[in-house]
Amino acid sequence: MGIVRGEEMVLNIGPQHPATHGVLRLQVKTDGEVVSQITPYMGYLHRCFEKHCENVTYEQVIPFTDRCDYLSSMSMNFGYVVAMEELMDIKVNERVEHIRVTMAELQRIASHLLCTGVFGLDLGAFTPFLWALRDRERILDLFELTCGARLLYNYMWVGGLSHDIPNGFVESTYEFLDYFEPKVDELENILAHNKILVERSADIGVMPKDVAISYGVTGPNLRASGVNWDLRKNDPYSIYDRFEFNVPVGEGIKGTVGDCWDRFYVRILEIRESVKIIRQALASMPKDGDVHQSLPKKLRPPKGSIYSRTETPRGDLGYYIESDGSPIPYRLKMRSPAFTALSVMDEIGAGWLLSDVLAILGSLDIVLGEIDR
Amino acid sequence: MTVDFIYNFLNDLLPGFLGNDLLLILAMLLPFFALFGFITIYGFGVIYAELKVSSFIQDKTGPMGQGYGFHAGKWGLLQPVADGLHLFFKEDIIPATADRPLFILAPFLIFIGMFVGIIAIPFGEAIIISDMNIGIFYILGIGSLAVIALILAGWSSNNKWALYGGMRSAAQIISYEIPAGLSLIVVILLASSLSMQEIISYQSGGIFNWIIFDNPFMPIAFIIFFISALAETNRTPFDLPESESELVAGFVTEYSGARYAFFFLSEYVNMFVISAVAATAFLGGWQSPFPNFLNTPAWSVFWMISKAFFLVFVMIWVRWTVPRLRVDQLMHLCWKVFIPIGLFNIFGVSIWTVLRG
Amino acid sequence: MTDSKEKLIAELVNKGLDGDMDAVNACEDRMIRAKAKAMIVKVGKGTAERPPLPEAVSSVVSEVLPKETAPVEVNKNVNQKVKDMVENEFPGSTIDGDDFIQLYPQKWFEIASWLRKEESLFFDSLQCQMGVDIGEENLESRYNLHSMKHDHYVEIRIAVSRSSPKIPSVEQIWRIADWFERETYDMLGIEFVGHRDLRRILLPDDWEGWPLRKDYQEQETYHGIVVPKVKEGWE
Repeated sequence: MGIVRGEEMVLNIGPQHPATHGVLRLQVKTDGEVVSQITPYMGYLHRCFEKHCENVTYEQVIPFTDRCDYLSSMSMNFGYVVAMEELMDIKVNERVEHIRVTMAELQRIASHLLCTGVFGLDLGAFTPFLWALRDRERILDLFELTCGARLLYNYMWVGGLSHDIPNGFVESTYEFLDYFEPKVDELENILAHNKILVERSADIGVMPKDVAISYGVTGPNLRASGVNWDLRKNDPYSIYDRFEFNVPVGEGIKGTVGDCWDRFYVRILEIRESVKIIRQALASMPKDGDVHQSLPKKLRPPKGSIYSRTETPRGDLGYYIESDGSPIPYRLKMRSPAFTALSVMDEIGAGWLLSDVLAILGSLDIVLGEIDR
Repeated sequence: MTVDFIYNFLNDLLPGFLGNDLLLILAMLLPFFALFGFITIYGFGVIYAELKVSSFIQDKTGPMGQGYGFHAGKWGLLQPVADGLHLFFKEDIIPATADRPLFILAPFLIFIGMFVGIIAIPFGEAIIISDMNIGIFYILGIGSLAVIALILAGWSSNNKWALYGGMRSAAQIISYEIPAGLSLIVVILLASSLSMQEIISYQSGGIFNWIIFDNPFMPIAFIIFFISALAETNRTPFDLPESESELVAGFVTEYSGARYAFFFLSEYVNMFVISAVAATAFLGGWQSPFPNFLNTPAWSVFWMISKAFFLVFVMIWVRWTVPRLRVDQLMHLCWKVFIPIGLFNIFGVSIWTVLRG
Repeated sequence: MTDSKEKLIAELVNKGLDGDMDAVNACEDRMIRAKAKAMIVKVGKGTAERPPLPEAVSSVVSEVLPKETAPVEVNKNVNQKVKDMVENEFPGSTIDGDDFIQLYPQKWFEIASWLRKEESLFFDSLQCQMGVDIGEENLESRYNLHSMKHDHYVEIRIAVSRSSPKIPSVEQIWRIADWFERETYDMLGIEFVGHRDLRRILLPDDWEGWPLRKDYQEQETYHGIVVPKVKEGWE
């Protein structure tokens, strides 16, 4: 018996579409509800990040990194300052390191909360999204307390921080964590084990290990495919080697390893690990230490280049900095994790139904600001 | 037979106009305006309920306001009014490439489909606009008019998303008519009548005489009917035709302003009609749950509306709790789960009826 | 020829006959690819039987997953060691460099395939690919390779002249190179020979010039809109 094939229809998902998480256009070929090919078109949010960097000083790059991944600005700052400090051989003091790790992990929780919430939203569950945003709001309050900004912080500077943490920050953070931990269980209960959500995401968009590595997919997406790879463990930067935490890996509890459900669930597990790290960092944070101690007057890195990687909520963020000895970067390349995650879309998304494609897109957790730069 | 009743009443009241056609028209218009007023008030009420219930579930406050001035009133009570005004004063856009007559027709058609369903719903022993002997059949039939309207809306918009939405809704509503019908057939089997009032009088005498408790098959029939009702009203988890994260807004993508409001309102009216049918068929209609207590005509309106509203509330509750199904899962649920169970139910109830005499 | 290769060929032939020639083209082993293509032609002519579809061949890529082998010793001089190995395998392809491997572009595709497959190296992950205008009429493409298995890391640089910037594409070896190379093409105009879909990725298709080259001049107008001049310096 032959299969009746209708005419294929080209459908543009985006640039304005509620499920594309920004300004992205997916050109899909559909036969009825079945999607046979996906071609992503991006660049709608291109702000010439790399070109800008060649025209501003090293310090002035930091606010631009904020605006690349606007959902995890702290981590973007962190990656850049780690790269610069490695290039210039600056050693920052203990207090700064602890504050940085605390901020980066808070940011990771905030970002993962948004991602899991939005994943629910993509599948039609509105309530978990607002629950997640409610808790994310408390984290943004903590950031506001620290540096006055809620989204784009410009907080980590090369060799230090823009401000020290205010009085009461540590207590507020503990208070938040005590409030937050039961809420994670709540979020997990309403989403992760919901029958409909499991039906919608388990066994959907399976990304095998080798495909993930070949496409350069990193971070939670890679871990969901069963690869135990976390730069915080495998290539520790800052002071991550001192903390006790696990690296959650996708196990295919509800379906196959590397399906949408795994990608979603790994993030919920990571939220719990981040809470652990924050508790340890707060407990061992030195009481004194000047956050401006090793701040250089003028950044003038030696001639040379560096490729430095850090683990952001979305995966390996790489900065390739080529310096010619002047206070302006000769070339600065950002290797953004969401860029690589989106590239796998056609590979794992083709052949599924239209609804599944949007579920897969949501599970990859892309941020267009970072893809387009 | 209330139109006749009003006509006779008017004839008695105004002997000068005896037999005049004007009185007949007046007798028809009175229930019409009553109905229209009811729908308006119900619309505001249910939208407010949706806002507040969702806010409660989502741990937020919802519409709030205090004092006078351009606020949403006390506790945000005026929010639905503001929403309504907002929609009616918005620019009404008809896309240049749309099929203009069909595009304009669709919202009216869907609203008529929902609106005329109410006339067969009994609110009391004598409070029913038209007590026809095929009441339940009439409501199901007229409710299916919505399918045509949705396909028209989807097709005439000349938009791929709208087309997807229209096609999905057609497939969905036609499919779910079957399990809904199958579970109403068992009710008709028991009551041996298609008339709404007959079905209700079959259930008189307190909560344990309600059809849902009549025999062990009936709760299953009720659950199937209620879930199918959710699907027919395009509510989450079956809101595939307008799933906002997949199809932008489905068949209403190109609609704006008042036309959009009609789609919006008819969804809520449909919820009420379906809930009222469920209340009539399974939960005793306008009968009080206590035998011979609070069973006066005034209370009967209260019971009917509160039973229907409870079911509407459950629909809202479900909407804000669960994610959405996928198209094939939706069809799987209908054709491979509900229809076999529904057929089995008919068989079981028939045997039960024969054995019990 | 081993069993696994036969299975692979059989699978590819079946795929090809069913119309999925991309799967055949995407096969990394050229020998297998060639054999599969030959067989497809034969089956088409009717001179050969269609091979039975083998069971449990998971995917094309999994075939090249290696057995456990000792990695190259991880230390600071991994670049140097890898460079020596490359020079051994492909004589005359490297140029002197300290903490990176400088290659000539000609044999880059073969070297890349070898780096990906050589079991003591096994660079399965292309971390980053970027282009840079290094002045002196030269553009450079840089590859940061990383092995997930052995956890070592090298940097490879390939310089080409500005007048004819042509480098073999490696998008069929590391799939992510597809987009990385498109981006480098977009920004610096380096042409990746053999790339199957070399288009601009971030900029509009009708953009003129290569923005990250140091001699880039902004357009005067774009679609009839006058481009404002950038102020000199920062105020």
